[in-house]
Amino acid sequence: IGHSHHMGMNMDMSGGDNSTMPPHHHPTTSSDHSHNHMMMMMPMTFYFGFKNVELLFSNLVINTAGEMAGAFVAVFLLAMFYEGLKIAREGLLRKSQVSIRYNSMPVPGPNGTILMETHKTVGQQMLSFPHLLQTVLHIIQVVISYFLMLIFMTYNGYLCIAVAAGAGTGYFLFSWKKAVVVDITEHCH
Amino acid sequence: MMHFIFSDEVVLLFDFWSVHSPTGMALSVLVILLLAVLYESIKVGKARLLYQALMNLSIPTSQQLIEETDQDSSSSDSLPVSRSPLRWFLCHFGQSLLHVAQVVVGYFMMLAVMSYNTWIFFGVVLGSGVGYYLAYPLLNMT
Repeated sequence: IGHSHHMGMNMDMSGGDNSTMPPHHHPTTSSDHSHNHMMMMMPMTFYFGFKNVELLFSNLVINTAGEMAGAFVAVFLLAMFYEGLKIAREGLLRKSQVSIRYNSMPVPGPNGTILMETHKTVGQQMLSFPHLLQTVLHIIQVVISYFLMLIFMTYNGYLCIAVAAGAGTGYFLFSWKKAVVVDITEHCH
Repeated sequence: MMHFIFSDEVVLLFDFWSVHSPTGMALSVLVILLLAVLYESIKVGKARLLYQALMNLSIPTSQQLIEETDQDSSSSDSLPVSRSPLRWFLCHFGQSLLHVAQVVVGYFMMLAVMSYNTWIFFGVVLGSGVGYYLAYPLLNMT
């Protein structure tokens, strides 16, 4: 069943055109006609444009190049702040470790010797100020990460580049002295 | 409300990437799978570059600390004495580039899943699994 692409008011999106409106695509995945009345006003492919771009909130609409430039800078700084917040939380966590438990277990070492491998477990008290601060910062981090996801979801090329460049610059500047312990199993963060 | 559907038609990420046929869908799932494998490899790559950067700074990693027995290890709180500032800078710059790539690929995968096409979703999940399987053993290779 082939639905042809019906575009609301569309335009020719061959790249390089700076002043087109975001294309309104109907998803062609539904095979049921009745569902197509519920149209998605969100673009589903990347585009470059700065007219009528809604950004996160209903009264935050970008209409001119100047506003887009301002939005680019704001998103760039937000992404940089996010990376900085992550590093700052790591540092705060390390500094505030209170109780430390050592578990030692023997492991075979080179030349048949037995080495003692020591595992350190650290914890925080629940009602201590560092833990509460970490929790508040965690909430802020979650909110900002979802904001960045939603900004990327606008599919606007300029804003997506701002997110990526801000993340890269923030990582570069704030990870200068990074901890030895790296948690690479974290997803998306 | 959107929900997951099985369909051979989808438009993924870019205007020119529109799929209409089972062959096209199979190819797209393969591409998405490779994208997810790339994502996991980037994560491992960043960790390895970090390891290299720390070697250049002569900060002992936890692995080295375990191997040292009676020697005094240098404190990691002291100012890093870089054996090779340029190499360290290149490692850090490389890490930042990989970080940008990781952010972009991660968001692309999120947007692909947002298409709500079940085949694509399987591709992402399978690709993450295959990527993890292939890349993580390379973490501890020195």
